[in-house]
Amino acid sequence: MVSDDRPDGRHHLDSLLMRETLLDRAVMAATEAPTVAMLPHCHVVKVGGRSILDGGRRSTYPLVEAISRALARHKLILGTGGGARTRHVFSIGLDLGLPSGVLAQLAIADALGNAHMLGTLLAPYGVVAIPPEIFGHLLPLFIQAAPGVIFNGDPPFGLWEHPPGTGKIPPHRSDAGSFLLAECFGCATVTLVKDVDGIYDRDPKEHPSAKLIEEITVAELADRNLPTLPFDRILLELLGSARQVTRFQVINGLKPELLEPALRGERVGTIVRRDASD
Amino acid sequence: MLTELGAALVAGSLTDEELLARTDVPATVRILPEANVIKIGGQSLIDRGRSAVFPLLDELVANLPDHKMIIGTGAGTRARHAYSVGIDLGMPTGVLSVLGTFVSMQNARMIHYLLARHGIPFIEPAQFPQLPLYLSERRAVVFFGMPPYTFWQPNPKIGRIPPHRTDTGAYLVSEVFGTRSMIYVKDEDGLYTADPKKEPGATFIPSITVEELEALCLDDVVVERSVLDMMKNAKSSRSIQIINGLVPGNLTRALNGEHVGTIISG
Repeated sequence: MVSDDRPDGRHHLDSLLMRETLLDRAVMAATEAPTVAMLPHCHVVKVGGRSILDGGRRSTYPLVEAISRALARHKLILGTGGGARTRHVFSIGLDLGLPSGVLAQLAIADALGNAHMLGTLLAPYGVVAIPPEIFGHLLPLFIQAAPGVIFNGDPPFGLWEHPPGTGKIPPHRSDAGSFLLAECFGCATVTLVKDVDGIYDRDPKEHPSAKLIEEITVAELADRNLPTLPFDRILLELLGSARQVTRFQVINGLKPELLEPALRGERVGTIVRRDASD
Repeated sequence: MLTELGAALVAGSLTDEELLARTDVPATVRILPEANVIKIGGQSLIDRGRSAVFPLLDELVANLPDHKMIIGTGAGTRARHAYSVGIDLGMPTGVLSVLGTFVSMQNARMIHYLLARHGIPFIEPAQFPQLPLYLSERRAVVFFGMPPYTFWQPNPKIGRIPPHRTDTGAYLVSEVFGTRSMIYVKDEDGLYTADPKKEPGATFIPSITVEELEALCLDDVVVERSVLDMMKNAKSSRSIQIINGLVPGNLTRALNGEHVGTIISG
């Protein structure tokens, strides 16, 4: 490796990107290239906090049983949401005037608590919650050794959370964190386990005639501009820029028998695709 | 519940724009309103070695009695090398983010050792709870500029390079702590209509808004684009200044609130 000492006073190391600002659009486009998939046989399953775990035994036990059966055939990376406690700490934090980065840091504790509860229930299968500090780097090792692992679904943004477009609620929550992890590790599927059958064309609680959307693309979903979505809205942006995971599925965890078909890639809820070709 | 909003947050959807809009009040507290965030460029400053770094650090130290400084570091040419090799090997963006973090950490350590005799610590993200104490006691800390996203770094829209790098990490520190300034120390006077190192005819832009800057659709800009995106949503950090750290006195003047480079405002 030759160091480059042409006289601009900076001591460069020879590389394709030498001297570049990394902000030039043409240079950026030149860095597009295929990516290796680290864990192509693993599945990421996000278990909802408010939708599943907050419901206690009634909603959680049947799903845990379904997860335990699935572990016999699939390697699972389970993310958890923070649920009602996160909403509560947001409300106190907002009242105290704390910024989004602090709220994001606080939220991790609730998802982590839920990860430990799920880990306690799945401990007989060798599946436990892994501390966030070591989770990312050691994930391939853990998932080789155990049929599944659990993490707090939140991404490690904390104080570095992005200020959202509207209000102050942290935009990257546990759905986003679970998706980003799957994308980086090139996992087979991403399933968001909620307490609704999927995305409806209207709010089914207010409109009994609302229809379930079986499959939809990011662009179509953006066009519909639905007032609420059953997952973090930033997920649409993240899926739009995905290279490896080009779809995710929202399923109803109150119907735990849907989990295994979802892991096999069957449509049992709403599948959101990056674009029509995926 | 403490408030009606709290009840709505527990029962409602966090994707509901009307509900989210209600979370804008009360106003955000500025946690460290007297501190300044200073980002020292990697390729632009640190890769030049002592001729650029020593005078800048002397100026930093001279300002300690008057200003509290949270000093972040860029990555520079070794990150460009790691990204180049990593892209060729098929590394995903999240892994490239880890590599960039390592390089900006090397630079933070070097700056830290040069400032160590003034009692200034280097803190990693896990040590940020000690930041207020260090600022009170020693008036400055050094941190690595990369945000700690590691494997969770979102993909860029184009290419594979992590979109949120050291400019963004430093900016978000200024935003979350509500600091009085965000100063980027680079080796150009500020923003130009093109990279002045490649196009000598590029025109200097002394001040501009994010909207005006976006309307120019420049192919190359002096600060990461995600900083500009985030400035539009910022609650506290609405203005940044890019200065030439090779010119003695510029940092002092910028810390004193003077306009010496390019000011970009949200």
